[in-house]
Amino acid sequence: TMSGTGSTPRIARTKILLLGQRRSGKTSINEVLFNALPPKQTFYLEATMRVVKHAYDSVIPLEIWDCPGNITVDTLGAPLSQFSALIFVIDIRDLYKQPISKLVEFIIAASHSNPQLHVEVFVHKAEKLQEDDKIENFRQIQERVQDHLMERECEQMPYNFHLTSVYDHTLHEAFSKVLHKLIHSLPFLEDLLNVFCANSQSPKAFLFDAASRLYVATDASPVDSATHNLCCDYLSMLNAFGPLYRSTTSSDARLRIPAAEPSPDNRSPAETKDRFYPSAAASLHPSAPGTTLTYHLITPHLALLALVPTGVWEGRRGLLEYNVVFFREGVQEICAVEREARGG
Amino acid sequence: MGASGSGKTSMRSLIFSNNPASLTARLGATIDVEQNHVRFLGDLILNLWDCGGQDAFMDSYLTTQRSTIFQHVGVLIYVFDVESAEMHKDLEYFRDCLDGLRAFSPEAGVFLLVHKMDLVRDRGATFERKKKELQEHGDKGLVPGQPATSLTVFGTSIYDESLYRAWSSIVHTLIPNAAVLSKHLSIFAEACSATEVVLFERTTFLVIATSAPPPAAAALEATRYERTSELIKAFKHSCSRVREEFHALEMELPEFSAVLDEMTKNTYVLIIVHDPTIETAALKLNIRMARRKFEELQGLT
Ligand SMILES: Nc1nc2c(ncn2[C@@H]2O[C@H](COP(=O)(O)OP(=O)(O)OP(=O)(O)O)[C@@H](O)[C@H]2O)c(=O)[nH]1
Ligand SMILES: Nc1nc2c(ncn2[C@@H]2O[C@H](COP(=O)(O)OP(=O)(O)O)[C@@H](O)[C@H]2O)c(=O)[nH]1
Ligand SMILES: [Mg+2]
Repeated sequence: TMSGTGSTPRIARTKILLLGQRRSGKTSINEVLFNALPPKQTFYLEATMRVVKHAYDSVIPLEIWDCPGNITVDTLGAPLSQFSALIFVIDIRDLYKQPISKLVEFIIAASHSNPQLHVEVFVHKAEKLQEDDKIENFRQIQERVQDHLMERECEQMPYNFHLTSVYDHTLHEAFSKVLHKLIHSLPFLEDLLNVFCANSQSPKAFLFDAASRLYVATDASPVDSATHNLCCDYLSMLNAFGPLYRSTTSSDARLRIPAAEPSPDNRSPAETKDRFYPSAAASLHPSAPGTTLTYHLITPHLALLALVPTGVWEGRRGLLEYNVVFFREGVQEICAVEREARGG
Repeated sequence: MGASGSGKTSMRSLIFSNNPASLTARLGATIDVEQNHVRFLGDLILNLWDCGGQDAFMDSYLTTQRSTIFQHVGVLIYVFDVESAEMHKDLEYFRDCLDGLRAFSPEAGVFLLVHKMDLVRDRGATFERKKKELQEHGDKGLVPGQPATSLTVFGTSIYDESLYRAWSSIVHTLIPNAAVLSKHLSIFAEACSATEVVLFERTTFLVIATSAPPPAAAALEATRYERTSELIKAFKHSCSRVREEFHALEMELPEFSAVLDEMTKNTYVLIIVHDPTIETAALKLNIRMARRKFEELQGLT
């Protein structure tokens, strides 16, 4: 789904601007999330010389603008009003003036031309520092940004800070939170997840974008990082298993995954019934009250991951699968409405 | 054995202690010999000697401790840092160790691991060059008429599946009834209409035996076994971080179905099925029914 300019120019893509000093980690972030680049390999990435636009299709179609370090509001080549989010990447060890003044310039420009813009600061490469230094640098960067904005009398623009690293789950969690702000249908997806959890006795469920492992929505119970990380790792294992036992001879008979998302009106009942949706379940500690991690593909891009009591998984699987079908139909309908609204 | 910093303790902690690669940077140099008994497959006890590689220790292994170190060796694993700046010295120590081994444990298997392969960009060519160098060097110390020691060389890294491939084949040489297990796995595969069945050791997740490979026409990915070991170990580790324990896995993926479950108390079995009409529930039932037989084969009953 990646391309230089976007594969289907007709649809309106939600645009995200990725900014920051040279070598702060912008391209790494984009490649690790949206091109499945192993974090260690980011070492070999070359410097970005011009703006590169990456199209990525998830629950909403995204266009991520990976910019070179020296870009300014004027040389960007597009007004800030076109963007829905601005992610500014600062190397956590970079406490000098430059990145901060640059960020401040963009925030001030946005306050004039696009006060709706979500400004998110990723204080990046956080794994490089020990806990104390990490907190201290994080605090200093926030304080300096605040001071600069106060000096320039620009205090009304909201912005958020996140500690991130490509080497752990912090990047996924932070980017997911940015994504949530851009999904207009989020409350409907959350309602569907709440219903699923209540009916399946699930303490936690996530709707993930399968390839990037960003979660696009979750139920109302609080997200604890440990559970989020476990689901992320589970998804990464399943993604890796997929092609591992592919066989040249038997794949044709087997492969029944829909090529595109069906629209609700041209879907005949027979067609829905035949359609194959991948699923998986991992059970944790064998003792009686154990937990099972379930995985169900919902659309070609989205997967439902849920923690379910093993008793429910083993004893009431029919009910659980019925709940998944109900959930899937709801999500597919929301996606179809979204597509229509964007002219897809 | 191998030079200090070549990665011996790191690989031991990955394979036998389920530690992640990222934590190995905290390991200090090993002082003298660290002995570990690891229970492998129940009644097979591996006695691992992790020999600290600093020069002073190496010199003492080759002189005063020579008979202690080289007696009763089942397998010698010699680790070379692919980026070693002192390859000459490494090779010299390696040759002296081979001499010691020939004197005290002539039957021992010898495995050479060219390690930290993740650091080189041209992996294939570098490996071939190193392999040739090592094999030529291994023969140098022979007195005329002495049979050459057969050396098996692997390229490895703690950051990918190559480590599992090397260690699976090392432990395979130590399992007494591997061939019998394979034969029964083939029968079991047929009973399940499976393409393939793989048996793993429970704690290390190293491959112990597999059913007869599928016909060439249905060829599967060559690195699938070691990749599976790596994936499951990584997930087991994720589970332990939330104080959960991984138990079993079933998957119905676009191209195959699979069940991974306990076979005996110290093995796990993975069944891979490509026939879309086979239900995972049937596979689980088959595992339950085969359990006794495999316990018998391992002498557990
Ligand atoms: N890049 C890379 N680094 C590795 C690899 N394996 C180990 N290392 C690193 O190498 C360093 C030394 O590893 P150790 O396992 O302590 O080395 P050792 O052979 O036990 O050293 P002695 O105990 O002194 O003989 C650690 O910082 C590891 O993180 C590898 O495959 N790739
Ligand atoms: N330690 C660490 N290094 C990172 C991280 N993210 C990126 N890097 C490294 O930072 C360097 C510059 O990254 P790049 O993405 O090219 O920066 P860009 O110029 O902002 O696009 C590369 O060597 C990356 O490997 C991170 O989270 N932690
Ligand atoms: Mg050591």
